[in-house]
Amino acid sequence: MTNAANTQPRPRFVPGQPDMWAFVLFEALVFTAYFVVYVVRRTQSPELFLESQAHLDLRVGVFHTLVLLASSWSVARCVQAARERSFRTALTNAFLTLLLGFVFLVSKVLEWAAKIEEGFGFTSDEFFSFYYFLTAIHFLHLLIGFGVLAICVHQLWSPARRSQETIETCATYWHTIDFLWVLIFALLYVMR
Amino acid sequence: MSALLRRIAWHWRYDEKRELWIGWWTLVVFYNLYGLLFFVVARTQPPPKPSLEPSEIVQWFDDRHYGLLFGYAIVFIVGGATAIMNATLAYTMRRMSVSRAFAYSYLVIYALATLPGMLIMGVACTVGAMRPDRDPELMSWLYDFAFLSFEGTMGVFLIGSLVWMVAVLLDRNRVFPKWFGYLNLCNALTEVVVAPAWIFKRGAFAWDGAIAWWINMAVFVTYTAVFLTLLRRMILREDFGSGPLPDLPR
Amino acid sequence: MNAGFEKRLSVVLLALSAITLSQLGVGSLEGHAALRPNATITSSAIVIALIKVRIILREFMEVRHAPVLLCRLTDSWVVLAGVGLLGSYFVGMAIARG
Repeated sequence: MTNAANTQPRPRFVPGQPDMWAFVLFEALVFTAYFVVYVVRRTQSPELFLESQAHLDLRVGVFHTLVLLASSWSVARCVQAARERSFRTALTNAFLTLLLGFVFLVSKVLEWAAKIEEGFGFTSDEFFSFYYFLTAIHFLHLLIGFGVLAICVHQLWSPARRSQETIETCATYWHTIDFLWVLIFALLYVMR
Repeated sequence: MSALLRRIAWHWRYDEKRELWIGWWTLVVFYNLYGLLFFVVARTQPPPKPSLEPSEIVQWFDDRHYGLLFGYAIVFIVGGATAIMNATLAYTMRRMSVSRAFAYSYLVIYALATLPGMLIMGVACTVGAMRPDRDPELMSWLYDFAFLSFEGTMGVFLIGSLVWMVAVLLDRNRVFPKWFGYLNLCNALTEVVVAPAWIFKRGAFAWDGAIAWWINMAVFVTYTAVFLTLLRRMILREDFGSGPLPDLPR
Repeated sequence: MNAGFEKRLSVVLLALSAITLSQLGVGSLEGHAALRPNATITSSAIVIALIKVRIILREFMEVRHAPVLLCRLTDSWVVLAGVGLLGSYFVGMAIARG
């Protein structure tokens, strides 16, 4: 399908409020600092970290990553649908994002419960301290993300609202949860 | 010098924003003084290790005997300035289009915050410094009490930041840019990160840790510098109305 | 929905998922019994993660269509993260060995 809009180059635009982007970049910097501390501490006790890391299931980490990637996909679709004023499609995608976020939440809590049951708590050893810290602070961002998605749904619901800027701002926040997890996954589950 | 004095005298008599400027300058002077007193005079920041033995703790107090006593004496004298500071920040929320409840909650929260954020540590450290020949176990107790109360009680600041964040995001008078609202969230989240300091005596999550102190402090300093700058702009833009604040002339 | 855009998003999701699934291979590559740090696995994990992050930024977050400043800022962060993480890994390992 081609139409005139597709053949013209789109003018450059910032998705959502530039303010949210400032937040995203700042949080990314803070998380990067946390990651660097983790990597440095890891290099000082590699055997300990490796031995503890063996108790994590890589497949669970992969599952979490896939779920969040899909949630980024659905919220991006939501933004696009809203842009084209297909608000029912947008709402469906927003709810799908919420659902995927919820799947991640449940899965994460189950993973924590399993680890605690196996005897690995926050204070068990340095690896697990970082594991719980990074996943918990990420989890906190996820919880805030539910609130942000709720705002998005609220906007989409009524024709009186539907501010494209607000919807895009919410999506920008949600994507941050995804890309931060991608890094956490690599550092906690994959790196050796 | 006399030109400066004349300018100050003029502002004192004629500037309708003089109270706001007094508030702003109080904030700037106080934060600088606070930094100087805690970091250079008393040398309680950056914090020492939680894992010190009682004998080492006695040594720590000993090394800082006069710094602690004089430094905190000054902190106690000027501590009341926090009232002016908090009032100035609460004023920004009064200027916003949001409910006055935000300003009042902020005032109450930050008034309480002076206890863990400044006074309790001051009292514990000066008590410790006053009688250096006290039982090392007692000194150890004072040491833990000082640092845990200072580093670990971030809940007050967390909620305060969230109050300010919500106010900024809901505000239609454009008192502060929205990104400052989000920066409050960053500040609040890094406060949460300090909580593990209650559990760990060493490592990145102890009260002197790379994560619980250093990164947290970097965020806090950035946040403080930012809000001082934004506050100055706000005062320059202030028109004492109740509608949107005008922008600064370019 | 604009079919072109929709298709692009789906292709991106598939690509990112495929990359993620390929990382499952790490689990069987080196048994934990070896318990030795592996610089190759680590560097590729970090680099792959940053590639995924950049794809998320450019495609899902639409930085592709954003003003040049935002492109530069996000790319700068990706580079900074890469340098920071890889740098601290290699420097840290060197210090630990030495």
